[in-house]
Amino acid sequence: MTSTIEPQGAATPTPRGALRRPADLARNIDVSGLVDTASGLLDRVVFTDRELYRQELRRVFAPSWLFLAHTDQFRKSGDFFTTYMGEDPVIVTLDRERRIRAYLNSCRHRGARVCRADFGTTRNFTCTYHGWSYNLDGSLVSVPNKDGYPESFESGQWGLVEVPHVEIYRGLVFGTWNPDPVPLRESLGDMAWYMDAMLDHDEEGTVVVGGVHKWVLEGNWKLAAEQFATDWYHVNMSHASALMLLSPSGKKPKDEIVHRTGRQYAGENGHGAGFPVHPRNRFDAQTVHAWTNYDALRERLGDARVEGPLTNGHATVFPNFSYLPVNGSIRVWHPKGPDRMEVWAWTIVDKSMPEEVREAQRLYNLRTFGPSGIFEQDDGENWSEVQAVAHGFITNGVALNYQMGLGGEREDGRHPGTTSELYSDAAGRAFYGRWRELMNTPAWHEASEASKA
Amino acid sequence: MSSGIRVAALDDIPEGEGIAVDKAVTGTADNIALLRDTDGAVYALDDTCTHETASLAEGWVEDGFVECPLHSSKFCLKNGEVQGLPATRNACPHRVEVRDGEVYLFPGETP
Repeated sequence: MTSTIEPQGAATPTPRGALRRPADLARNIDVSGLVDTASGLLDRVVFTDRELYRQELRRVFAPSWLFLAHTDQFRKSGDFFTTYMGEDPVIVTLDRERRIRAYLNSCRHRGARVCRADFGTTRNFTCTYHGWSYNLDGSLVSVPNKDGYPESFESGQWGLVEVPHVEIYRGLVFGTWNPDPVPLRESLGDMAWYMDAMLDHDEEGTVVVGGVHKWVLEGNWKLAAEQFATDWYHVNMSHASALMLLSPSGKKPKDEIVHRTGRQYAGENGHGAGFPVHPRNRFDAQTVHAWTNYDALRERLGDARVEGPLTNGHATVFPNFSYLPVNGSIRVWHPKGPDRMEVWAWTIVDKSMPEEVREAQRLYNLRTFGPSGIFEQDDGENWSEVQAVAHGFITNGVALNYQMGLGGEREDGRHPGTTSELYSDAAGRAFYGRWRELMNTPAWHEASEASKA
Repeated sequence: MSSGIRVAALDDIPEGEGIAVDKAVTGTADNIALLRDTDGAVYALDDTCTHETASLAEGWVEDGFVECPLHSSKFCLKNGEVQGLPATRNACPHRVEVRDGEVYLFPGETP
C-alpha cells in the first residue's frame, strides 16, 4: 500500500564555492493576523500578495507532500512524466530498478530543463542547450568538450537534484523536498479513510484513462483547493443550470437532491472532504452505476463509506491535490504566481472496469469536469471572478466569511476524525489553519541556511 | 572467418533496438552494435558514437537510421553515414548475415 524510497540525493547539492545567499532575500511575514479560524475570517491579501506567495513556495509547498503522478503512468524503465512541485519543474521516472524517482528538471550547467516533453520513454535526459546528459539515476553521464573543464571538475557532483522522498498511496505518487518528512501515510491521517472510498473499491486498484488535461485559470490556487476541501454550499447556486440539465425531467432536480444532508471532514493537516449521506447514493453515469456492485463495496468499505464518500462529494489533500469520486477526476492546482493557476486533471477508473464502463466514466467526467465541462466551467468562472476584483485597495481590506458551521465540528462516531454538517466551512477553516501554521514555521532549508551563517 | 561469427539469435534483438557485442568477441578496436530496424533487418556499426562516449546499441533504431541516446546524432544503418550535427564523422559499418534465425557478424568486412 505504502512504499518508502530511501533518499537518493540531497535537495541542496554540495558545490557552492563561495556562494552565500543573503538571508534578507527571503523576508518572512508573520501571517497570524491574516487567518482567524476561531471567528471564521480570512484576509483577502492571502490571494493577492506576491511576497506571501513567495513565502508559500518556501514554507507551504517545499516542505509538504505534493502529488506527482499515478503509478499507472510508469510501466517500463525509462517511462517519464514531467510536472511541477509548486513552481519547481520535476521529472518523475521509473529507473532501471523499477523504482519511481523524481528529479528537478533543470540542468546543473545553465539551468534549462533537461526534459521538454510532457511524457514518454527515454534512456537519458539530455539538455538541449549544451548537451549535458543525465541517466535515469540522475547521474551526469556526458559533458561535451569535457576536456575544457579543470581537473577539479567532478561529474559526480553535478547530477540532477533529486526529490529526496517519493512515496505512494494506493497508486497516487507523492513527493516532498523535505529531507526529514512525516511519512505520507501518517500525514494523510484520517483522510486516507475517505480516499480509500475512491481508490480501494477492489484489490486491483485504479488506472488512468487517456492523458492529462491541462488548462490555465486566472485565480489564486487556494481558491480552488479550499473549495474542493470545504464547499458543497455553492453547488445548488453555481451549478444550477447543470443540475437542471441532468435532472430526469429536464426542469429541476428532485427536492431530496437539492436538500441533501451529509458530512464534511476537516483534517488537522488541512485536508478536507465533503459528501452527501444517503442509503441509495449512486454513481451518476448510468453505465458505471449499473456495473457497480454496491453490496460488495459495503462488504469491503463498510456502510458509512458506501452511503457517504464513495460517490458524490469533493476532497482536497493539502495543499493542492483534489479529487471527485463520482466521476474519477483527480487534479492538481499548480500555482503560477498569486493570480494564476494551472489545472492538471487526470481521469482514473477501477482497473477491474470493463472497457465500456471505463469509456462511460471517461465521457461523464469529460462532460462534467473536463476543461469545458458543464460544472468545471462554473467553478473556474467563480474563482476568476473573485480574483479579478481582489486587488482593489478597499476590496482587498474587506475580510471574507468562513463562519458556516462554526462550533459544529465534532466526532460523529461514524466518520473518522472531526466532521461537521455537509454545508459548512469547517474544512476551509482547517485548510487555512494549516496554511497559517506552515507559513509561520521556518522550513528545513531556513534552518540549514542559518546554521551555515 | 568466412562463415562469420554467430553473435546472437535474431529473437534476441527486438525491432527498433540494439545489442552490443563485446570487442573481445569481435576482435575489433570497438564493441560492435547489432541494430535491428523497424522492418526487422539487422545491421552492425561500431558501437561508440563518433561524437561523445555513448553506446549506439542503447540508441533509437527506426526507418533505416540509429539515433544516439545522448545527443541525437543520427547514422545510416546501411553504411554508417552521419546525418547531421553534433557528430561529424561516420560510424564504421560491418557486414551481417541472418541464417536460420541466427545472426552472423563479419567484423571489418564492408556490408
